[in-house]
Amino acid sequence: MDSTGSLLVSGVWFLRNALGVIIKPYETYRRIVDHGRLGELFYIGILLAGYFALASLVKEASFRPFLLTRQFVALSTTAAISFFLASATIWIVGTLIGGTGSWRRVTLAWGYTMLPTLTWFLVTSLLYVLLPPPRTTGVLGVAFSIVYLIFSVTLFFWKIVLAYLTLRFGLRLDAKKIAVVAAIIVPLFIVYSIGMYKLGVFKVPFL
Amino acid sequence: MTNKTYTRFVKRWEEVMDVPPQTLGPFTKPYKKLTRRLKVMPWPWLVVISLISVIGLYMFIGSAITLLVTVLQRGF
Repeated sequence: MDSTGSLLVSGVWFLRNALGVIIKPYETYRRIVDHGRLGELFYIGILLAGYFALASLVKEASFRPFLLTRQFVALSTTAAISFFLASATIWIVGTLIGGTGSWRRVTLAWGYTMLPTLTWFLVTSLLYVLLPPPRTTGVLGVAFSIVYLIFSVTLFFWKIVLAYLTLRFGLRLDAKKIAVVAAIIVPLFIVYSIGMYKLGVFKVPFL
Repeated sequence: MTNKTYTRFVKRWEEVMDVPPQTLGPFTKPYKKLTRRLKVMPWPWLVVISLISVIGLYMFIGSAITLLVTVLQRGF
């Protein structure tokens, strides 16, 4: 199969798995780590690039190509570095704790955890345009805040479920070892997120 | 059992046994109960847990949740 055909097949797998992580995350994650193709990450990358293009427009709030390009490059580069650093950290720490999966399995599985992140950032950016902050303490402001927080917390829990499945299937770890890995990597992610915040790239970590 | 079904069964069995069954001592039963609900269509459960968490937060900090949302909305 040539590279175009391979990419198309990866696209079909990506669509199937993206739907699967919504409906049947457990079973889908087994399939992703066992039969997934690295080409699927290409489609996740395309979606992320689309979001960064939109976010650059919203952040800059002006159509100035130089500023937009600079913003886009800053967001994309930082997100790509964050992604590979995160998957490498998970793989290294997981392997040290006794995990037996390969880096490929972990990277693919972690790639699909970008879907909740992307959804949250995309909806937040759109809401920033449609209903710009600050929120008021009136009835409508509080009602919107509650709905927005329910949406955010639901996606956060979805992210946790997918991250758990990454460790469970990507590294074949049991719950105790997953807790140990989480206890090590979460503080590292917090430090990294503070760094990103101080650099002014992402105020909420894009992990 | 036909040969095809048996082959499919063996393949599925190998897939399932790729990771050892999860045991958490006295917490194994609640763990299994929780994960059973999250394996297929987890959304109703995720939304219910989120709803309870957010209502709890609202009861705790009141209308200050609008401040939290303002910060989050500027966080992308």
